[in-house]
Amino acid sequence: MASASGEQTSAEYIQHHLTNLVCGKTQDGWTCDHNAVDQMGFWAFHVDSLGWSVFLGLVFVGLFRLGIPKLSTEAPNGIQNFVEMCIEFVNDNVQSIFTSAKNNLIGPMALTVLVWVFLMNLMDLVPVDYLPTLAGQVAEATGMVENSKDAYFKVVPTTDPNITLGMALAVFVLIIFYSIKIKGLKGFLAELTLHPFGKWMMPVNLVLEGVNLIAKPISLGLRLFGNLYAGEMIFILIALMLTFSSISIGLLGVGLHLIWALFHILILALQAFIFMVLTIVYLAMAHETDDH
Amino acid sequence: MNINATLLGQTLAFVIFVAICWKYVWPPIIAIMEEREKRIADGLEAAKKADDSLEEAQLAFDEEMNKAKLEAAEILEKANSRASQIINDATEKAEVEAEKILSSASKTIENDVNKAKEELRQKMSELIIDTSEKILGDEISPEKHQELLKKAAAEL
Repeated sequence: MASASGEQTSAEYIQHHLTNLVCGKTQDGWTCDHNAVDQMGFWAFHVDSLGWSVFLGLVFVGLFRLGIPKLSTEAPNGIQNFVEMCIEFVNDNVQSIFTSAKNNLIGPMALTVLVWVFLMNLMDLVPVDYLPTLAGQVAEATGMVENSKDAYFKVVPTTDPNITLGMALAVFVLIIFYSIKIKGLKGFLAELTLHPFGKWMMPVNLVLEGVNLIAKPISLGLRLFGNLYAGEMIFILIALMLTFSSISIGLLGVGLHLIWALFHILILALQAFIFMVLTIVYLAMAHETDDH
Repeated sequence: MNINATLLGQTLAFVIFVAICWKYVWPPIIAIMEEREKRIADGLEAAKKADDSLEEAQLAFDEEMNKAKLEAAEILEKANSRASQIINDATEKAEVEAEKILSSASKTIENDVNKAKEELRQKMSELIIDTSEKILGDEISPEKHQELLKKAAAEL
């Protein structure tokens, strides 16, 4: 993507930031060559998104399990206090939504969603050029690419729809699993076909309820993706101001970056919270047995 | 914005992390928190019990204290009355004794006075007779005027 002079245009700069490091299967076998991306079909992985996602998942587990060498009933230390606070917060939310049904998977899942998604969102606050530039330099130094500009590295996993929809897919599978488990296959199908118009309008009901069902994971995944993608985009645009050779625009960019980053802290936490609450709500709906 | 196998990879990662959280992260911390909650509840209950028993003990103490005070007052009163009685008795006895002594003393004195009077009379009559003898010579003799002498002695 580098232009002949080695200088990037604004469009190229933005495009570079929005492109993943992809490894996938082509006719010649597995490759991570960016020029071969078009030949990759479905079997391609965004190594950067997945890598950061798994790394942050490990950070979560490490902090919440290994971060506390010895659990204490009487005098919890700093990390344990934080962890207990998180768990209590999640537990309160779960219990306020899951009023009648009991399911001991929901709590841990909600906690994982909250902390993991928050950590992934948090990567958005790392200035947009740091990690991609570092990755480019490493790739060039190790000979993986000729020019560091040819190395693509997208850091924030939640700006990748594959990541958000991947989690939504898991939630969707659980919705169907628990719907069938609690209501039985018959009950689940009845819920899909007998509402809202009664049994003589079955096809219409199925379309309406089907849309309703499918909309859950898609809105869940796309909401998170959309918010974070937009936020990331604004960070990139602000960072772009710093590439102009004008001090006043550069200073304006620094100020804007600060303001947007402060505001974004709210969005990051809020989106993680919303993802968690919706996960709980959808699963609570799957547990509801009474007709409405 | 290609949808590709990354999605499945993330789903798998999600399942694995949720499973880890479900098995290894959530239960020990929830257990600790529940245990602490129970401990606090027990502690509060114990404190309440202790409070109650303290109140009970205070009541019992007050009761005992009142009883003891009453008893002490009673004892004091008894002692006082006993003391005044002893004093009264002693005074009475002393008075009686004093009277006795006084009366015996006055009796003795009376006797002595009587004795002295008798002696005096005797001496007087003898003196009179002596004197009279000297004056009258032999005309008067104690034998002769025995009756007269006796009369004079009675008059004295």
